[in-house]
Amino acid sequence: MTSTVHIRPVRVRTVSVRAVGGLALGDFRDRVRRPAYVVILLAAVALGYFATPGVDAHWVIMQVGEYRGVYNSAYVGMVTALASALWLTLGGFYVVRNAIARDESTRVGLALAATPLRTPVYLAAKFLSNVMVLGSMVGALAVTALVMQLARGESTVVDPVALLSPFVLIAMPLVTATAGAALFFELVPGLRTGVGNIVWFFCWSVFALLGQSPKFPLGGIGVHAVVRSLVSEMEAQGLDLTSGDFSLGLTYLEDPLKTFVWNGFTPSADFVVSRLGLVGLAVVLALLPALWFGRFDPARTLRIWPGTPAPGDAPATEAAPASLVRLEHSPDYVADAPRLPRSAVVAGGSFARLLWGELRILVQGVRPWWWGGAVFIAATSTLAPATNITRVMLPVAWLWPVLIWSRLGTQRHEHGVSALLGAYPTARQRLIAEWLSGFALTAAVGIVPLLKMMSISDWAGVAAWTAGAVFIPSLALLLGSLSRTHRLFQAVYLPVWYGAVNGLPVLDFMGVIRVDGEPAGLPLAVVVGLAAVMVAAVFLADALGRRVRD
Amino acid sequence: MLELIEVTKVYRGGKRAVDGMSLRLGTGMVGLLGPNGAGKSSLMRIMATVTRPTSGRVLFEGTDVVARPNALRRVLGYLPQDFGVYPNLTAREFLSYLAAAKGISARSARARIDELLTLVNLTEAAKRPLGKYSGGMLRRVGIAQALLADPRVIIVDEPTAGLDPEERVRFRNLLSELAADRVVLLSTHIVSDVESVAADIAIVAQGRLRRRGTPEDLLREIDGQVWEMLVPSAHVNAVQSRFVVSRMVRTPSGVRMRVLSAVPPVPDAVPVTPDLEDVYLDVLQRSSAGTAVAR
Repeated sequence: MTSTVHIRPVRVRTVSVRAVGGLALGDFRDRVRRPAYVVILLAAVALGYFATPGVDAHWVIMQVGEYRGVYNSAYVGMVTALASALWLTLGGFYVVRNAIARDESTRVGLALAATPLRTPVYLAAKFLSNVMVLGSMVGALAVTALVMQLARGESTVVDPVALLSPFVLIAMPLVTATAGAALFFELVPGLRTGVGNIVWFFCWSVFALLGQSPKFPLGGIGVHAVVRSLVSEMEAQGLDLTSGDFSLGLTYLEDPLKTFVWNGFTPSADFVVSRLGLVGLAVVLALLPALWFGRFDPARTLRIWPGTPAPGDAPATEAAPASLVRLEHSPDYVADAPRLPRSAVVAGGSFARLLWGELRILVQGVRPWWWGGAVFIAATSTLAPATNITRVMLPVAWLWPVLIWSRLGTQRHEHGVSALLGAYPTARQRLIAEWLSGFALTAAVGIVPLLKMMSISDWAGVAAWTAGAVFIPSLALLLGSLSRTHRLFQAVYLPVWYGAVNGLPVLDFMGVIRVDGEPAGLPLAVVVGLAAVMVAAVFLADALGRRVRD
Repeated sequence: MLELIEVTKVYRGGKRAVDGMSLRLGTGMVGLLGPNGAGKSSLMRIMATVTRPTSGRVLFEGTDVVARPNALRRVLGYLPQDFGVYPNLTAREFLSYLAAAKGISARSARARIDELLTLVNLTEAAKRPLGKYSGGMLRRVGIAQALLADPRVIIVDEPTAGLDPEERVRFRNLLSELAADRVVLLSTHIVSDVESVAADIAIVAQGRLRRRGTPEDLLREIDGQVWEMLVPSAHVNAVQSRFVVSRMVRTPSGVRMRVLSAVPPVPDAVPVTPDLEDVYLDVLQRSSAGTAVAR
């Protein structure tokens, strides 16, 4: 039976600051119920594991000369907290980078924009949600630290305060600042796009390097006070301090480190104030955009990097409404039988156009300034001395398209075209064409360094170039296909590129590092093999995706 | 030509969207009617080879298209309910890309795209980025892509959403013409979309086929069971709780109600000629009540 629905009148009142918690919790729940969150937590656990390597491991995250602390609660807590402070400020940024973008893409933002919700309240809720997501990662790391202390077995006495205080005093303020910065970047035109992801990577690099200095604003990472405590403890124990400096970050070890007992440090008032200052800075960063945030009004949307043309650019209007025009003159127009296409459909010769189409899709909407930059890099490469080609010009050329590569594997999902393409044949050909379009772009931006290497018969360099040109689109296509976001490739490629440029052989996929003129990075076969595995994984994931979709 | 045999689709979480449905489609148009959540879109996606059924078979001219989807994809035109476009490509570029994905030759694609753009009234807008199109214009791009390969099977899911009234009529006429020598499956929850063009109507609810037949047959089934009556406003709730009400119009002298009932609901009720909306509501009512519907 048809029933009458009675709608009880609701008393609407202004949404107050108390709404922040509710909104943030809803947002947090939505995020943690996505499969990606499990991957994020697992990554945090893995980070905790790597922070406390076994006695025979050849890596370390934190050391003072030839020493590390015995794995008691204080040291395990501190090293894990510092590792999270270092890496969650990078990775975590990319994790929470879509707080506003999600509301935009799901159109929840439009619904919220029409409520009495005040903009600062909305931004505070988003900020809090970011903090909760990153805080849950810190929480996972704290639990991992406890497990690792017990697993390593160097000290089985658990001191909860010593274990947790580094997370509270060091990790949480830094991830809070990251949460605020992520929100700020989302709301600043020019930074809200992939450009912001690159900018953050370089900001983070500077912070990771200079943030260990006591002179860095707000105490930087906060590691200086810890180092002072470690050193004074070592001095008290009469240990040799001349064998090297303090190091924070992944370091390769020839020999295992010696150990000493460190029972933690008591933070000074200044230290606590500097941490609170970081939290304050985060709040300012998060709320400042309330001054210009357009509350999802497309007419107030600025677009610097290409994407969906903002409706504000030019209102969408119907095309010349031929039907309506004809309707005026011919009232029976709508009853007319439409004239069906009569041309014959002939199959064949479509792969080249498919590739052309994928290229168009890959570079769709790329702005003239980007092309100008690519031409400038190519021109500079032409003039650069041969010695700088692999060291400088090729890395620069292969950094420039990072935002375009990051589109590989994502666009058909991002724009909803997969709903159409699912019923099309040639799925594998499309993937091949997409990979080839990425390869073509990589080759095009790196063509001048290649020609230069050929001109001086640097055939080892040419081979490394070829491996790199195969590697980059493979990595992009894999990460894009798996994550369906641009951010994962950006977050992974930038550190790999940075490592290669800074002489880490294990990350050198393009022949930057030379010893006696020969590439000394990853062996060619490894780079090409990795690329092949990644492409195979893309095809496998696509096939599985089609099989288990829904 | 296209046949579903005992097709079931159970999603993760246990939601049974399609429940043992069998359907045989030949040349002509079948209008698939059902409320939101009835399983229409799942069924359409299965027939369009986008989604694999949990069990059952889908045959196209004898070929199992679950195992060999390309047999159908080459001759299929599919317009899903929701789809997107590449916002910075023009309509012509987008259609050209899709034509390549269909495996259509360049010359053939060019001619076909010109004709299709004319057909959907987008020739003038063909050079504008799709991101600047309105919803109705994008829908027309979707229609054009569905017809790219001169399909022998056309599956359209809620195709008229977002079209203005003139375009809706025009699209219905187009489908009607296409159905002369093709299989056309049109899914909608808007009864008027199918009643004027579909000679064959299938009504689905809760994942099952509840009724199928020509409009005449379906109307005949409830002949003499549709009534109109004038009811005082105060009695409207009582009538609604006892009968299926297909329409209500408030008038100065009371509320004119159209109800479905095997017997006159009130002594002065007047029997009226049923229409497809009455049939549709009757079927939904019976299926939600768990009544066996195969009559």
